Amino acid sequence: MVDFGFTKDQEMIRKSVRQFLDKECPKDVVRALKTDKLGYDPKAWKKMVGLGFQGMAIPDQYDGMGGEYLELVVFMEEVGRNLMPSPFFATVALCALPIERFGSDAQRQAILPAIANGQIWTLAVMEASADYDPANIEMAATKEGEGYRLNGTKLFVPFAKAAEKFLVVARTKSGGPAQEGLSVFIVDAAQKGVAVEMIPTAARDQRYEVRFDNVEVPAANILGQVDRGYDIVSYILQDATVLKCAEMSGGAQAVLELTRRYARDRIQFGKPIGQLQAIQHRLANTFIWVEGLKNLVYEAAWHINAGDPRAELVSMAKVKANTVYQQACIDGITIHGAIGFTEEMDVGLYHLRTKAHEFDLGSSEFHRERIIREFEEQEPLFAKVYA
Amino acid sequence: MDFQFGEREIRLREEIRQFVRENLPQGQVPYFEEHDDEEWDFGMSIAKKLADKGWLTISWPKAYGGMGAPEWERAVFLEEVGYWGIPGYSMGVSGVTWVGPSLMLFGSEEQKKKYIPMIASGESDGVWCTGYSEPDAGSDFASLQTRAEKKKDHYLLNGQKVWISAGHRARWCWMAARTDPGAARKHDGISVLIVDMKSKGVTVRPIVNFYGFHLFNEIFFSDVEVPLENLVGIENNGWRHLMQALTFERGNKALVDYGESKRLFDELVHFAKESGDIRRPYIRQKLADVAVELETFKVLTYETVWKLTNGVRIIWEPSRDKASKDMLSDQISRIGTELIGAYSQVDPLYTDTKWSRLRGRAERLYYRWTGYASAAGTTDNQRNIIGQFGLQLPKAY
Repeated sequence: MVDFGFTKDQEMIRKSVRQFLDKECPKDVVRALKTDKLGYDPKAWKKMVGLGFQGMAIPDQYDGMGGEYLELVVFMEEVGRNLMPSPFFATVALCALPIERFGSDAQRQAILPAIANGQIWTLAVMEASADYDPANIEMAATKEGEGYRLNGTKLFVPFAKAAEKFLVVARTKSGGPAQEGLSVFIVDAAQKGVAVEMIPTAARDQRYEVRFDNVEVPAANILGQVDRGYDIVSYILQDATVLKCAEMSGGAQAVLELTRRYARDRIQFGKPIGQLQAIQHRLANTFIWVEGLKNLVYEAAWHINAGDPRAELVSMAKVKANTVYQQACIDGITIHGAIGFTEEMDVGLYHLRTKAHEFDLGSSEFHRERIIREFEEQEPLFAKVYA
Repeated sequence: MDFQFGEREIRLREEIRQFVRENLPQGQVPYFEEHDDEEWDFGMSIAKKLADKGWLTISWPKAYGGMGAPEWERAVFLEEVGYWGIPGYSMGVSGVTWVGPSLMLFGSEEQKKKYIPMIASGESDGVWCTGYSEPDAGSDFASLQTRAEKKKDHYLLNGQKVWISAGHRARWCWMAARTDPGAARKHDGISVLIVDMKSKGVTVRPIVNFYGFHLFNEIFFSDVEVPLENLVGIENNGWRHLMQALTFERGNKALVDYGESKRLFDELVHFAKESGDIRRPYIRQKLADVAVELETFKVLTYETVWKLTNGVRIIWEPSRDKASKDMLSDQISRIGTELIGAYSQVDPLYTDTKWSRLRGRAERLYYRWTGYASAAGTTDNQRNIIGQFGLQLPKAY
């Protein structure tokens, strides 16, 4: 039966995550981390290990907590609300999940406990085209003896400086259809030929250009099957995308709440500006959109959690998140007025992240195309019933 | 958390679709049923069949002629009603949607016994209209001036009501009148009354809308004698009763609207495939955007139903869903008519001319939604409610 409620355990996780974030990562820490070399707080990261956060959805046998996907959704929603800068998403959503699904026993045994214990990972997939079209993944992985040599450049790789390990998507075979011939490699960040260069993003949220110059990788470091790497990318575009959406949903909820509070407290013309319909109606629209986003993300997430992922729901959640997060920030700042434009106000911290979020794991255009493809393939219900 | 229906709902859906196959033509479009005699009669014949199935008032207790079905089954029924354009499901809206449920909440035992079975039976005596708005009391409906003066054994009713949907089809009028003009606040001193439309002194005058349809009316009450027992709930406490009734009104419509929009979306995708327009990136992107908003609207309406079934007090949720629906109708009808192109200028009254596309579905919604948006409060009225109750901001109006 349709049920929008969370379990007691899930609610408890939400509460403890929120308490942790409020304590460990107030907004002055978010601001301070902007100029930090690694962009996260290693002490807080350690405490997260102690609380079992990184291993939340990793099975018990690999030192994890054995939790469900929905718990990660709750976690990311809270992270989005709080804005904690950390390599959590890169490590857990972009790497631990696909390793758990596609890794060999040996890989899982070696990697998952390390992640549960705080090892930092990241994924290098995007190239110069800055999208997720498999045709645009050109980085070469050339077979040499028993291993491969990687040559090429990846862009907007999150937390590449902090990461000890990378998952790298490269082309092992060319000439066939774009989705075929990709492979995912496990690469040590310290390896010869790997160079990282920070991209000065608006949020200083640790995005890097990573160059691979004749980096040698043994064949044993391929995740999943050789030439079938796009299966892994597709999986990431599903499970990690909805976690990204949960993060954005949390962010949009926070922006609405802080704008609402400002509109209630700021007095002009002898009354709160939130009493003016021009302001109140814009907030009401944001409220409607944020409520929609929140529930759409839950629906997409529930299907993944139930082992019945629905591609169109994933993409709908991302399109909605892209639209709503941005709109909430723009309305948020403009409703604040001039003060919304200042460094002191939190709303700008969210707005600075809108573009990174929008293109992480696929733009709206990319996901709309995926949505319509799902629908055009279906026979319409009205035709089926009268058939 | 769960996003799947149970067996009962799935079975009900199948039964409804079976019913649709047997009783409705394949190209059934949502009617403007109050306008046309033939459509109205067909709708009433379906209403009777729905009543026989127990679906017309599916969630009402068995004692009142319903099936005692849980909210989710009612939701499934309404969604299917929208998708298949099942006419007659609401018999002019008021009776089934809010008069019955309101009477159950605050009507007298005699009223319950008398009126509820009439509605549940699907007969024409169960058709109601609603008299809220007046020429000078629209969105600010607490300013209503229709006067019900208490006499010895009746209220003497004088005044004028406007925008009365199905007023020309209704047997009864569910209406709001001022019983205490001396009350300190305009919200006090209002009462809910039931008026027999056959009473002496009731005059119904048609209002034709901008595309030529007769859906709503003006009603004039001139020295109409309304028996005292036709007072609903507590005298002068009408405002509170009415707010409750309006919540039923907004809540019920949302699920039908979802079904109807989903059908239009399916039709548009199908149309674009047939015409080849589906290959245009612009059309693909626009249709995908509609799909996003449609699904969003669905989860919002479902969430409201879920809250209802869990005993959460519903306040701003129907306003959220209604405003959301208005925005969706705007979007889908614009894209729909744009896809159909110049053919969308054909009068939607005609569904089967050689220039008609999708039997006029897209342009029907295009012309209709802007008017229907005002029913149960304009979109901006909903934003006021969301602002005040959802966002806890000071009242803006």
